[in-house]
Amino acid sequence: MSDTFSYLLMAWLDPGLLGLTALGVLAGIYIGAIPGLSVTMAVSILISFTFAWDINNALALMVGIYVGGVYGGSRTAILLNIPGAPSAVTTAFDGYPLAQKGEAGRAIGLSTVMSVIGGLIGVAVLAGTAPHLADLALQFAPRDYFLIAILGLLLVSSLSGKSLARGIFSVALGATIGLVGMDMVTAQPRLTLGSMELLGGIHYVVVMIGLFGVAEAFYQLHNMAKVPVKQKVDKIIPPLNMVLKFLPLSIRTSIIGVVVGALPGTGGDIASLFAYDHAKRTVKNPSTPFGEGAYEGLVAPETANNAAVGGAYVPMLTLGMPGDAVTAVIIGALVIHGLNPGPMLMIETPHIFWFTVGNLALANIFLLVFGLTGIRIFSKIVEVPKAIMIPLILVLCVVGTYSLNSNMMEVYWMLGFGILGYWLKVFGFQMGPIILGVILGPLLDESYRQAMSSVGDRGGDFLLALVANPLSLVLTTVIALVLLGNTPLKGWLVGRFQRN
Amino acid sequence: MSKKIEQTQAGEKVFDWLLLLFSVGVLVEAFRIDGGLRLNSAGSFPVGLALVMLASSIAILFSHRRKRRDPRIRSALHECQVFLHEHFQPHIVVFSVVSVIYLAAIIWASFYISTFIFLAAMFIYYRQGRIISSLIITSLAIAVIYVLFTMVFRVYLP
Repeated sequence: MSDTFSYLLMAWLDPGLLGLTALGVLAGIYIGAIPGLSVTMAVSILISFTFAWDINNALALMVGIYVGGVYGGSRTAILLNIPGAPSAVTTAFDGYPLAQKGEAGRAIGLSTVMSVIGGLIGVAVLAGTAPHLADLALQFAPRDYFLIAILGLLLVSSLSGKSLARGIFSVALGATIGLVGMDMVTAQPRLTLGSMELLGGIHYVVVMIGLFGVAEAFYQLHNMAKVPVKQKVDKIIPPLNMVLKFLPLSIRTSIIGVVVGALPGTGGDIASLFAYDHAKRTVKNPSTPFGEGAYEGLVAPETANNAAVGGAYVPMLTLGMPGDAVTAVIIGALVIHGLNPGPMLMIETPHIFWFTVGNLALANIFLLVFGLTGIRIFSKIVEVPKAIMIPLILVLCVVGTYSLNSNMMEVYWMLGFGILGYWLKVFGFQMGPIILGVILGPLLDESYRQAMSSVGDRGGDFLLALVANPLSLVLTTVIALVLLGNTPLKGWLVGRFQRN
Repeated sequence: MSKKIEQTQAGEKVFDWLLLLFSVGVLVEAFRIDGGLRLNSAGSFPVGLALVMLASSIAILFSHRRKRRDPRIRSALHECQVFLHEHFQPHIVVFSVVSVIYLAAIIWASFYISTFIFLAAMFIYYRQGRIISSLIITSLAIAVIYVLFTMVFRVYLP
């Protein structure tokens, strides 16, 4: 117990870790707020610089950026009607109308407090559930991992982007990229096109930097001339009665955020959409109608997306499966540092888990401090013209990629993935599912082959095993329902049910 | 109740056909892996993924039946013109070409020199000729990159 407490408080008591967390949160708020920069991009680039660091230092900085970045997107959503991050899209629905009414300061203050409440609830759920889930996960068979990975990829395919088909294509494309290189079991080259360079595979950080950094830089070239409208900001700290008034809603939407965040592959953007929808359906008398500046429409997504951070860590630390794109990148960081994300992490390196929990809580406290101060400097910094930002993003991407293995070929690959990502983005494909595919592809391959070996390579027995075990049966049923929910059959069934 | 009909963007259908071709290419390459047709081999999962890509790209192409072309687009030639106008605007083409030249130049001109030239050129171009301020911003950016990456993070740069 005393060890657990010392790990929990490590980031609070070590000045270096304290400083890195604070720096991460501050940087995250600005990165999340500046449209065109994303938390995933920042953490991807950061991995390449921090792999020589002590793991605690690297994690402290990444956790800070993650927590700050998820919140930061809301500021530009409120002030400029430009969500800095996908998870802040719903914040703009009511946040910007509030700013237009001259209540930008109050909206920012309330969103800060609610984000912190959501974030802390997420951390509490992480601390309370993850150790038990990890114990349970030790009993999972390879087929269960296979099914959980399939479910995660299916959820991210169906919940993000324009269509399920596009989502599934993105996931499969990512998994295919993840399989390039030498097969770990038979040492056969796979999808290498005969190239020696590709035998070692394509480093996922290269793919991430290309898709999130370069592709975004190219995409932002379309919005070069967009000039945001400035808002007056004052009275930032919200009165206590206002916070108490919205507390029940924030607790409900925090729970939505944690649950959605904990589903492998989902994340804050989907959590905030669900929470906004919940608020619209359950709040009978909002302060003003939703979409016209309702505080409830601001509170719901803001608590949910920050609560989803804690939720996203649950599958990552217990199953080794990312809760969203950022935790997919953080999994990469843990692996680079020789750690083993998954149920064994709790047994082999419990200090990493408790350190992360303590660090997330600390990051939320810094979020409260930085969120309620420095608004004037903030509004200056987010006005950095794209003409300066876009070329600098490319340079950062080059530095980040080259510093991985000092290999220029990887820099060219990064540019290639950037161009591919640009076109995919233009035509409605999401980058998140591709990255999750890259990370989960090798895991899916491994668990599928282990599951197949366990039934003597007999296809019929493999299919039977998917429904013979209770956990596998539940997972298979959920997968079937998710698939069914995305077919025209769903409409027909709902219609019949309503008629009866 | 009328359902909003989605519109296809200029070039979207061609892109989706290219994805189908790409999926076929991946399938062919996956079959070349030894044991691609067996249930448990190095090739089985890549073959499965390629089939998923193929099926989803066919579904994407089928989804065009429920969409309509942008009414402003009159013909295939006009669609081509709209596509070029949207995605090959001068400032996008310039950035793409200069980026490729920059990456090629890093090896023989060193990172800092090529980055200085790249940033200065892009800032001057995008900021419409404000040369002095662009050069100052470039110098500051290079100084920050040097301090941050070479001195603080100690990363190897080309």
